[in-house]
Amino acid sequence: MALDISCFFLVALFSASCESIASSDQTCIEKETNKTYNCENLGLSEIPGTLPNSTECLEFSFNFLPTIQNTTFSRLVNLTFLDLTRCQIYWIHEDTFQSQRQLDTLVLTANPLIFMAETALNGPASLRHLFFTQTGMSSLDFIPVHNLKSLESLHLGSNHISSIKLPQNFPTEKLKVLDFQNNAIHYLSKEDMGSLRHATNLSLNLKGNDITRIEPGAFKSTVFQSLDFGGTLDLLVIFRGLQNSTVQSLWLGTFEDIDDKEISSSVFEGLCEMSVESINLQKHHFLNISSNTFHCFTSLQELDLTATHLRQLPSGIVGLHNLKKLVLSANKFDNLCQVNAASFPSLTHLYIKGNEKKLALGTSCLENLENLRLLDLSHDDIETSDCCNMQLKNLSHLQSLNLSYNEPLGLKTEAFQECPQLELLDLAFTQLHVNAAQSPFQNLHLLKVLNLSHCLLDTSNQHLLDGLPALQHLNLQGNRFPNGNIPKTNPLQILESLEILTLSFCDLSSIDQQAFAQLKTMNHVDLSHNKLTSSSIKALSHLKGLYLNLASNSIGIIPPDLLPILSLQRTINLRQNPLDCTCSNVYFLEWYKENMHRVEDIEATLCENPPLLRGVRLSDVTLSCSITAVGIFFLTVFLLLFTVALIFAVKYFLRWKYQHI
Amino acid sequence: MNSVAAALLVWTLTSPSSSGHGRGDAWPTHTACSSGGLEVLYQSCDPLQDFGLSIDQCSRHIQPSLNIRFGIILREDISKLFLDMALVSGGTSVLNFSYPICEEDLPKFSFCGRRKGEQIYYAGPVNNLGFDVPQGEYRALLKLYNENHATVACANATVICS
Repeated sequence: MALDISCFFLVALFSASCESIASSDQTCIEKETNKTYNCENLGLSEIPGTLPNSTECLEFSFNFLPTIQNTTFSRLVNLTFLDLTRCQIYWIHEDTFQSQRQLDTLVLTANPLIFMAETALNGPASLRHLFFTQTGMSSLDFIPVHNLKSLESLHLGSNHISSIKLPQNFPTEKLKVLDFQNNAIHYLSKEDMGSLRHATNLSLNLKGNDITRIEPGAFKSTVFQSLDFGGTLDLLVIFRGLQNSTVQSLWLGTFEDIDDKEISSSVFEGLCEMSVESINLQKHHFLNISSNTFHCFTSLQELDLTATHLRQLPSGIVGLHNLKKLVLSANKFDNLCQVNAASFPSLTHLYIKGNEKKLALGTSCLENLENLRLLDLSHDDIETSDCCNMQLKNLSHLQSLNLSYNEPLGLKTEAFQECPQLELLDLAFTQLHVNAAQSPFQNLHLLKVLNLSHCLLDTSNQHLLDGLPALQHLNLQGNRFPNGNIPKTNPLQILESLEILTLSFCDLSSIDQQAFAQLKTMNHVDLSHNKLTSSSIKALSHLKGLYLNLASNSIGIIPPDLLPILSLQRTINLRQNPLDCTCSNVYFLEWYKENMHRVEDIEATLCENPPLLRGVRLSDVTLSCSITAVGIFFLTVFLLLFTVALIFAVKYFLRWKYQHI
Repeated sequence: MNSVAAALLVWTLTSPSSSGHGRGDAWPTHTACSSGGLEVLYQSCDPLQDFGLSIDQCSRHIQPSLNIRFGIILREDISKLFLDMALVSGGTSVLNFSYPICEEDLPKFSFCGRRKGEQIYYAGPVNNLGFDVPQGEYRALLKLYNENHATVACANATVICS
């Protein structure tokens, strides 16, 4: 008997655990109703019956489909995107995608494919992107060519391919991206390149293939959008091989984990006989850079020398007179003048970020760069007590300046006088020392975007933001205001063109009703992560159509007189507030239900009070604070009984009185 | 007979947690290295998968630019890849840092840019600083993640220096 019971118990337990596994494992995530579904990591061995026939985009990676055939996806006729990454697919049989007329992208990355049938890819009217990354392929004959007329990108990385030669009947007319990274290609022949001659503006990726030989003339008269030889050890081979070619963008960088040998200047001689617009040489070691090293770079527009161990560039460099964009990030300069900027008079973009040493800005180091539009000096440990007129002398066309993530800078009135055309100024996470009543941004008439987040500003300085008539976007995240209050007179009032204002993480507990009175064109206000209560909403009463973020504040009750202000706004976020769900907040709760289309993050907008409703979504709360039908019934009955009793009492009193006359 | 049933019952109750690695189960603890007075143990804290790591030249005088071997299946694309590390000793936080490994404008390693699903084996230097580890026991939480904060790898490590 006992055995029977325990067996029963055992069976019950076992079936219960099976059921829970089955139910928890079979739910795909709906990302867009009836269109986009994510079924990743569910261990599925077939398409779940719950997926609607209308599914267009299906992420099905990390499941189990050893064989796929014409019945596998037949129901999903609207598929445009199908991701079958690492589904342990061995076989792709005849007509597998026969019913997927709309299929645009097919991802078969990391499947141990044994065979694809001749008609495996037939069906789609215009298959444009195919991913065969790490599928064990050793020959391009493996891919059936019948239905590849529309192919734009073909990804063949991490396979065992040793030749880029495409099969004879492989359609290449529309091909734009051909990715062979991390294969075993060591030689490029005329014949190989000939198979690509019908492709125009092709991007060919050969990163992680150690090319040791290119047949002379293989690239003669070819035109490429981009060529990537990343990690190739012998650059001389590449430059010689590319003779007489035209390349928009040539990527020749190397990596930390690749043994590099120092490159001598003679390597670049090959560039004299080809046309390149943009070149990347990241992480290489240069043996000795002389002023003559770059003499073959005359056609170059962009040069990227990121992390090339440079301590300085020689003066009077020949060949870079037409250069427009120069990247010198992650190098080892001590002083900005060591860049010897006079060699690049046409420069419009200069990036020196993440310098490995503390960078001194020096005086007038960039004064010859009259055409400079963008300057990035972020993450450079720059520290100076008087910025930035001496340092940025003569940069009168500068439009974008990035000085974020540096050491403290001292700014005086008109600190950017030398760059009156500035439109964007980023000083985030750089501590700024501005003395009282100084206006460092004075006369930046065109400045549209100013990022001052975490600058530890003195916000009591009324003139801090003077002279910015065009400012549209201001980020003041992480700055403090005296006593956590924005008073009526504050430095923001002068910014009449302001549209976007970020005041999150400012430790604010109140905002004066008139604090934003002059800011009439705002459409995006972020006040999240403060300690504001609902009374601060009054400061927005003159605005409408706002995106208003009030997430993570101290808003409990929103009284009825503030609701019209909220009703005028476009989108409101009230996530993570201690919202009150009792009858004292009933007007707001009613407003919330009627205005769900205006509210963002409904899932995370929860009640805090009363304890019984803590953690419940506001949208799920229904309160009845007026008198209910039952209440009315009892009240009526009570009144009725009271009237009857009164009548009886009067009758009794009268009778008693008349009896005693 | 009863005892057989009881044993069976115990087996059913315990087996789901020991067989197969479903969600919520812990992965085994591995030894990344153990020599020269330093022992590094780690356990994957990604519920989806384990990974393999071994550190060469293990010693309490950590050399600059250590060589490691690392094997994993990528659950995400890694054109952008970041490392977060939090080091705790005796219940107090000693060190927190974040370091970019792959960025669009600076792919430091040859594996940058590889795709979701790919199996990766890396044997090479990690570009660390050299330093001496003071005696003691440390706990470290390491996380590799991409630009959407999706986990690529997660490790709970214990470093014992004697």
